[in-house]
Amino acid sequence: MKRPYQITAVVFILFSAFIVREAMELKFYTSLGPGPGFFPFWLAVLLAILSVMMLYNATFKDAGPMPADFWASKVGYIRMAAIFLAISAAVFLMELIGFRITMLAFYLFMLFALGRQNLIVTALVSLAGSWGVFQVFTELLKVPLPIGIFGI
Amino acid sequence: METFGLLMNGFATAMQPTNLLFAVMGCLMGTVIGVLPGVGPAAGTAMLIPVTFVLDPTPAIIMLAAIYYGAMYGGTITSVLVNVPGEAASAITCIEGYEMAKRGRAGAALSIAAIGSFIGGNVATIGLVVLALPLTTLALKFGPPEFFALMVMGLSLVTGLASKSMVRALMAAIFGLMIAMVGIDPVMGAPRFSFGMTELLSGFNFVPVVMGLFGISEIFANAENPIGEIFETKLSSLVISVKDLKTSFWPIVRGTFIGFFLGLIPGVGAVVPTFISYVAEKKTSKYPEKFGTGMIEGVAGPETANNAYANAAMIPLFTLGIPGSPTIAILMGAFMMNGLIPGPFLFKEHAEFVWAVIASMYIGNLILLVLNLPLIPLWVALLKMPYSVLFAIILGFCVLGSYSIDSSVFDIGVMLAFGAIGYILKKLDFPLAPICLTLILGPLMERGLRQSLEISRGDFTIFFTRPISAGLLAISAIFVLGATFQMVGKVRGSDTQV
Repeated sequence: MKRPYQITAVVFILFSAFIVREAMELKFYTSLGPGPGFFPFWLAVLLAILSVMMLYNATFKDAGPMPADFWASKVGYIRMAAIFLAISAAVFLMELIGFRITMLAFYLFMLFALGRQNLIVTALVSLAGSWGVFQVFTELLKVPLPIGIFGI
Repeated sequence: METFGLLMNGFATAMQPTNLLFAVMGCLMGTVIGVLPGVGPAAGTAMLIPVTFVLDPTPAIIMLAAIYYGAMYGGTITSVLVNVPGEAASAITCIEGYEMAKRGRAGAALSIAAIGSFIGGNVATIGLVVLALPLTTLALKFGPPEFFALMVMGLSLVTGLASKSMVRALMAAIFGLMIAMVGIDPVMGAPRFSFGMTELLSGFNFVPVVMGLFGISEIFANAENPIGEIFETKLSSLVISVKDLKTSFWPIVRGTFIGFFLGLIPGVGAVVPTFISYVAEKKTSKYPEKFGTGMIEGVAGPETANNAYANAAMIPLFTLGIPGSPTIAILMGAFMMNGLIPGPFLFKEHAEFVWAVIASMYIGNLILLVLNLPLIPLWVALLKMPYSVLFAIILGFCVLGSYSIDSSVFDIGVMLAFGAIGYILKKLDFPLAPICLTLILGPLMERGLRQSLEISRGDFTIFFTRPISAGLLAISAIFVLGATFQMVGKVRGSDTQV
């Protein structure tokens, strides 16, 4: 686990440096006491110190072997990418084309990407998860869900 | 006497048909969450918060609390019948429960788990009733320095117990605090780290963050290595013998005490009591060598401890406003969304609400006992659903849940981003519970710190000159130093962890 921990420590050090810089642009101390920059500044300093400790330990001590399942299989990464893609698409499309069409496409895509099912199961799950959920949430639970440019 | 009267009023409210209905629904939904692998109690409870939007605060919190302890029980069913723990706290039950099931004693295992959970949960709730008023009276004497010190103590316990590495646990806690810094500064009202984005002015909503950290990251991990064929055992009769009941008596007593006392300590987490209970049963058994072959004590003790912990963990939340686990932190968030701030003032200002929720916990435990055993075949049938369908449905509910909190697609993006972060951090063996707790406690901690320093005009000795805050900070220091030295000892040994 040496290299992953080293990379993680460096990422956290850079993140801390960024937070310190941002915190310094806020008021550090006011006449009433600590300002908005006080807490984030010291948190970032603490995180940086801990990250340096992590880097030191990973570099100069035995960080232990990499677990056998640290990296996923190719199929595993494809599935994860599919999930990432589907949720990202939902972020961009939901308010444009509406909840029902977005979620219908979401379920159809997910059921295809995670393992193909027979057509009836796919159709039932997709319709229940889009049109069915829309009805329950908007009518029964009074939770508004987006209607898109097609009016659905 | 005053407590008894308040509790009776609570029962009168909790027994109203609407509240009773939502307690039943919560128990059922919670059991489903517990049964299904890939969605733990934290993500599951967060996912179902939108369902309670239409409700008044009392039924909403009754339902969410029922979801929480329903999920703690639901995990047992799959641990016993299919050797897959629905949630982490039930993992230890797999050892003896599944062995019992393979020997045709699944019914006895599930029955004793239900009975133990009922007893443990109810005893812990009695503890809540007894301790509520004295603890809140004490907490009302707390000023900002004491509250800050209390939160520091909670966090030190979380970080100390959460991971093999103190450094990683502390980094996770600080990362959570930093996420909590985003948005309007709680004291002066200045925007921080919003980078000109209006969505970030009110900070990260905790629901999508928790759904990402605990739900989406888990689905990523399952997508990487989908669960294969499950060896399903047959469900025998649920009637338990007198001999089994006698054998389980002391494990249930010990499990109740272990779960209850660990539940009082913020940050212990639900897994620790079950493991301690299992070890205690093995150590006190006349036949320790038979453990691992289906000993009923190994189910009765941990399952009792699990539910006693789940109910006792409500005590620090209700009385001090300190969540002890991620799921309790979600409940705390749900309280706040309903305009209720957990802590000593809750008992003063919303007594009817809080005693109704406490009374509903007794009713909920009874509902779980009566309702769940006959429905076990239904839960098993649910598990036969193909994982691709199951995960697609969970993902769909995550999207829906994070959107409907604020009707914002931005929150879906937040959930996805934190899902990816949670997946990577899990791979690197960072604990996720401290991130969740600090996310909730961060603004309260900062407010406590800054108000204390305003009182003392910037003098940090205020935390050490007031006896309660000094005592709490001393406990935190002892715990962190103890955990660190233990870690150093391990580093010097063979098991080196960063």
